Amino acid sequence: MKWQRKDILGLEDMSVEDIRHILHTAKVMKEILMRPIKKLPTLKGKSVVNVFYEASTRTRTSFEMAAKVLGADTSSIAIAQSSVVKGESLYDTAKTIQAMRADLVILRHPSSGSAKFLADILDPGVINAGDGQHEHPTQALLDIFTMEEAIGDLEGKNVVIVGDVLHSRVARSNAWGLQKLGVNVTLVGPPTLLPVEMEVLGVKMTHDLNSALPGADVVMALRLQLERQKSGLFPSLREYSQLYGLTTDRLKKTGKQSIVLHPGPMNRGVEISDDVADGVQALIEKQVTNGVAIRMALIYLLIGGSGNVVA
Amino acid sequence: MWWLKDVWVIDPSQKLSASRDVLVQGGMVLEISSSMTKDEVLAKAQGELIEIINGQGKFVFPGLIDVHTHLREPGQEDKEDILSGSRAAVRGGFTTILAMANTQPVIDSRALVEFVRMQGERAGYAHVLPIGTVTKGMQGTELVEMATMKEGGVAAFSDDGKNIQNAEVMRLALEYAKLTGLLIISHCEDKNLAGEGQMRRGVASARMGLKGIPASAESVIVARDLLLAEETGGKLHLAHISTTESVELIRRAKERGVDVTAEVNPHHLIFCDEEVGITETYLKVNPPLGSRADRESLIEGLRDGTLDMIATDHAPHTQAEKTRPFAEAPFGIASLETALSAVWQHLVVPGRISPDRVIEAWSFSPAQRFGLQGGSLAPGTPADMVLFDPDFSEVIESATLVSKARNTPFLNKTLQGFPVMVWVEGRLVQRNRQVL
Repeated sequence: MKWQRKDILGLEDMSVEDIRHILHTAKVMKEILMRPIKKLPTLKGKSVVNVFYEASTRTRTSFEMAAKVLGADTSSIAIAQSSVVKGESLYDTAKTIQAMRADLVILRHPSSGSAKFLADILDPGVINAGDGQHEHPTQALLDIFTMEEAIGDLEGKNVVIVGDVLHSRVARSNAWGLQKLGVNVTLVGPPTLLPVEMEVLGVKMTHDLNSALPGADVVMALRLQLERQKSGLFPSLREYSQLYGLTTDRLKKTGKQSIVLHPGPMNRGVEISDDVADGVQALIEKQVTNGVAIRMALIYLLIGGSGNVVA
Repeated sequence: MWWLKDVWVIDPSQKLSASRDVLVQGGMVLEISSSMTKDEVLAKAQGELIEIINGQGKFVFPGLIDVHTHLREPGQEDKEDILSGSRAAVRGGFTTILAMANTQPVIDSRALVEFVRMQGERAGYAHVLPIGTVTKGMQGTELVEMATMKEGGVAAFSDDGKNIQNAEVMRLALEYAKLTGLLIISHCEDKNLAGEGQMRRGVASARMGLKGIPASAESVIVARDLLLAEETGGKLHLAHISTTESVELIRRAKERGVDVTAEVNPHHLIFCDEEVGITETYLKVNPPLGSRADRESLIEGLRDGTLDMIATDHAPHTQAEKTRPFAEAPFGIASLETALSAVWQHLVVPGRISPDRVIEAWSFSPAQRFGLQGGSLAPGTPADMVLFDPDFSEVIESATLVSKARNTPFLNKTLQGFPVMVWVEGRLVQRNRQVL
């Protein structure tokens, strides 16, 4: 297929064909990643700039590794969140990066829509590494990749996503992407974190985890931002974990050898118990490995040019 | 002397909507009658030069009165100042504008009231009338010297931009303002419900992951203030109403005889939340654009008089401020130059609201409620007047806007129906879209 995207901003607007093409490319990338000497000359002379307005060692390192395996040069601009308003504007930062002749920009930013904002300004491509509470497409793609790797074709499969859906860019991107692949998605959370307007995602919603679990092929626990308690969105970690925490006993309710995903970093004992996190059903480390493969695929597709040397 | 021939006159103060000839002399409306002969007019001119305007296909109506503008002076002159704002006003058909008090410093003393008024007079375009704050420093705790500020020419009191969260302070304001006979204008927004919200809470905010402001953030304060006005007998005006629930609360309160009026902004009558894109900060406004159903309720409210007047809430910002990710951009739409045209094109032309009702709601009603000059073309009144050409179309371009601000959803779009001549007290201040 012909790849035409300049940017990866989200899965809401991505076609099934593009998603499949990315997953296919990532499979090849994973093979390369698993080699003892993993370095390609494919993107030699290309520069990838990580611009992170939120602290995220995991995602940034994953992107850096992905770019380096492909032979690109990487640099990072970490900007403290506090300087977002007071300091240089994103617009001016964007212009500066462009002037430095970057080939690809990876953006993590606390404002929803910031990735599109940047993409509209920049000539080089932009990969959204998480924009506010909007989308986190690379996370959803690596989740989907991990699911397919574990259970095969996802069409007709049941995926339960539990937690703070309202504030989760991971949940939004997964809901869009999984639906396009024919997955039955159910979102679960308390009414304050899963308000009625989330119906816009077009998937099933319930406040009762126990009733959602039977038949689930995949259960994904979302990271709970602990500061939400202070805003009154839930009363205590204790009650949250009793109602929505993923435990071994609860996982049995699926009636299947379901797989468990978590975007990390985990709050052990809150949204996921130790035994589930460390158990055989959890593919959390696989997600991390696959994250590099997915990001390699995206970087390659965006700036690898027409010389289709790996896929 | 001006002789406007065969022009469609809309003057709700005289219940007039018909083709007439209009004579203006010495800054006043001299006469409006069915037809005049050249000899009759010559006799009245008594040797004065007569400029004849063929009014066929055009409308003349009282200069619009906008009870809600932000002119940003003193303190934020990079966004707008009183000169640029009052030029933008006459370009858009407004001959009187009320300037909100949330400047830097806020207008909470007689000296500052006099400053704004004087700057308006120095500018010499639209009449600029200062609104003072309700509370000192707009802190929502102690009342300003209302009687003294009235002597300085304050037109009303409002902490617009910031709601008075303390209900007791609001109650006291409604009581104390009785000394002045002036209105308390309420910016209805519960701070806690609005939170850090960026747009109306609903499916559009949920989809984009933008923090939502529930409709109740407005309507709970509308309910509170209506009850306080009812209890105190104070005079209340509600700014920028945007929800179905608010319209219904106001309708019921008016039936009970509460001394309340309310305004609606053009953008709430034209746009709704589902049209807001994730980078479209020019549609980021407070109160936020509501649902489709809200928009219908507002149009209905304006038609039946529940919403008494239209006001722009002209909120100029710099391009740098609006060229930011959605959550970081300030709220507000600059609209003095486009509002009438936008309402005409989107609501009058499709037949949703009659032209007579629009003119009543934007001139006569505000004049009556706020006790202002204007809003009428009755013979003997100062000729604050607009000649409007419904066929005139214009691309809204950065180069032609006279406001300092460009934060309008109509930028680079074409609108049709514009004021082509505007008089303030009989003096021509805008002709063929050029401010003179």
